[in-house]
Amino acid sequence: MATPAPLSASALAALDHLVWRGDRLAAEAAPGRPTGYPPLDAVLPGGGWPPGALTELLIPHFGVGELGLLLPQLCNVPAGRWGVCIAPPGLPYAPALAAAGVPLERLLLVHAESPAHARWACRQALASRSCEVVLLWLAEADMAALRRLQLAAEDSATPLILLRPAQVAGQASPAVLRLALRADQGGLQVRVLKRRGPLLAAPLHLPLPWPGVMPRPDLPTSAAPPSRLHSNINASVHALVRPRPARSGPAGLHAGAQ
Amino acid sequence: MGRASALALAPGLHLRERAPALERAALIDIATWAGRFTSSISLDPPDTLLLEVQPSLRLFGGLTPLCTRIGDTLGELGFVGQLAVAPTPLAARWLARCAPGSQIDTHAGLASALDPLPLAVLADGAEPATPASLDLLTGIGARVLADVRRLPRSGLARRHARAVTAQLDRAYARIPDPRPWFVPPERYVARLPLPAPTDQVDTLLFGVRRLLAGLSGWLDARQAGLERFTLVLEYERHYQGHEGYEEPHEIVLGALSQDMARCQLLAREHLTRNPLPAPVDALRLEADNPNPLTPPRTDLFDGDDGQQGDPGLLLATLRARLGHDAVRCLAPHPDHRPERAWRWIDPSPTSNAAPTGPLDLPSSPRPLWLLATPRPIARPAAESLLTGPERIEAGWWDGPAATINRDYFVARSHDDCLVWIFQERQPPHGWFIHGYFN
Repeated sequence: MATPAPLSASALAALDHLVWRGDRLAAEAAPGRPTGYPPLDAVLPGGGWPPGALTELLIPHFGVGELGLLLPQLCNVPAGRWGVCIAPPGLPYAPALAAAGVPLERLLLVHAESPAHARWACRQALASRSCEVVLLWLAEADMAALRRLQLAAEDSATPLILLRPAQVAGQASPAVLRLALRADQGGLQVRVLKRRGPLLAAPLHLPLPWPGVMPRPDLPTSAAPPSRLHSNINASVHALVRPRPARSGPAGLHAGAQ
Repeated sequence: MGRASALALAPGLHLRERAPALERAALIDIATWAGRFTSSISLDPPDTLLLEVQPSLRLFGGLTPLCTRIGDTLGELGFVGQLAVAPTPLAARWLARCAPGSQIDTHAGLASALDPLPLAVLADGAEPATPASLDLLTGIGARVLADVRRLPRSGLARRHARAVTAQLDRAYARIPDPRPWFVPPERYVARLPLPAPTDQVDTLLFGVRRLLAGLSGWLDARQAGLERFTLVLEYERHYQGHEGYEEPHEIVLGALSQDMARCQLLAREHLTRNPLPAPVDALRLEADNPNPLTPPRTDLFDGDDGQQGDPGLLLATLRARLGHDAVRCLAPHPDHRPERAWRWIDPSPTSNAAPTGPLDLPSSPRPLWLLATPRPIARPAAESLLTGPERIEAGWWDGPAATINRDYFVARSHDDCLVWIFQERQPPHGWFIHGYFN
């Protein structure tokens, strides 16, 4: 009677992608899309946003830095494909996006009357295989709806990034990656709530590009935000369209008064 | 069988007047559709269509595959046909009537196929034999065409039965039988009356599929594609008091296409978007402006099949369900007022790759999120203001309501978000938040 041969190290290595051990990051079958922020890439399985999977970003309210975090994804949409924003809560501001290098003619903004419409549009976008990235703002969704979105994402190779309010952090979710975002001094604080890997206790601090400089995301970010009001005050620009006689502004606020 | 005897046999019989105009319209529908098999089509009213298939045989792989294909796809159109193939049009017509399925492709076989046909077929055709001549032939004992052929021609001509010999000559290919060609319409219109008024979308889609099958033939014949077509729903006559209430749905395909699955999908989205106001009586499909379609270039070793989707289809699908204005793109607009420094543009998958010209963008900070209406806030602490002020004063040309006169600052909110705030320069000098950076 033959005894089973002990598994060699090479055989174990061959099985590596099938078995995930809890003390390390899962080796994803498909590498992730680099987020544009190396410190974040380092803690994500696959080294970026997982393609063909649901990622949840939990935000206290819009404008905490989520768009800054996702800006590199929107910039990288190649010609002939779409970046899709479904049901954004505010108006993404075209001049700032254009200055940051986002190809606006490839960024579809979808207005949905109801969450059901938004989820339908999201599934269509994923199924069409013509989208580079899909962003969906969704306040309320039950487990079944999220599960359907996750399945739709799995059938495509598109990262689906769901932006939801921070209050739902306690609810179960089928997302493979959940990050809680919070604005932080000069940047963004990212807490990894769920990932295919060990728990990450310490939150991550990401410096976001300072808007006054508006560096292209493909260039290294160097400028730090000025901490004080007066350090940068002379650099401000006036947009005076109509020449008017000089008039004193509110005391202490007008640059000319300094 | 007379009307009275028919009703005596089946009292529940529903009788309708025969409508030759509708029959002719149906024949034209089928002729338009048949353009995908050959370009030489001739109408042979009231119930026959002649296709010259000799030049198409190689494309479709022979006579039998072609006949099978015609028979199968005719069903999609909602008709059942009897097919026969013969070297002359009249012979094909007679065989389709008396011996459907015959395929005679040589002149040698023609005589033996036609000889056993009954005499009655002589009354069928463009110049039929008169009943008197048929009575004469029956009287002298002729039963089938072979019997007539054996009779002396001069005798028939003397007895005023010249039409009989002319018919036989045309059928047996002894004299030519030219036919006028059918010219397909430039604008495709097809109407499908529904058997019963319905407001069920699935039933309507079944009808739409039939109409699209005809459209597909029309496009195939022209090797063309469509960018849009119109589906008209004709509601029940008595709805809303006025006659002929109808509702057109323009269905935009998003790209030049002759893919009927795509048309069907988008038609479904349009029809399910809003509930139908009344039962639908009939469907009408109208299409014009077909554009020549170059077949997609495919790689012989195309391994990346299906990985790249069609950006136009996504756009068309989303717009079909959510509305035209629900899917748009943004573009910067040269205006100093932040509210007007952007506008909506129509996304287009074809100009998707075209880079826009150099933009005249403000060099000062602009937020990624803009609030539609500025939100009033309390006066911020001086140390929370990071940069500024940037004075924006513009818009007097649009009247006092559109004039702005503000000092903008980048500030840090209490929860560390970077916000774009401004102070009105007019009394009461209120502070407002107008956008979020990042």
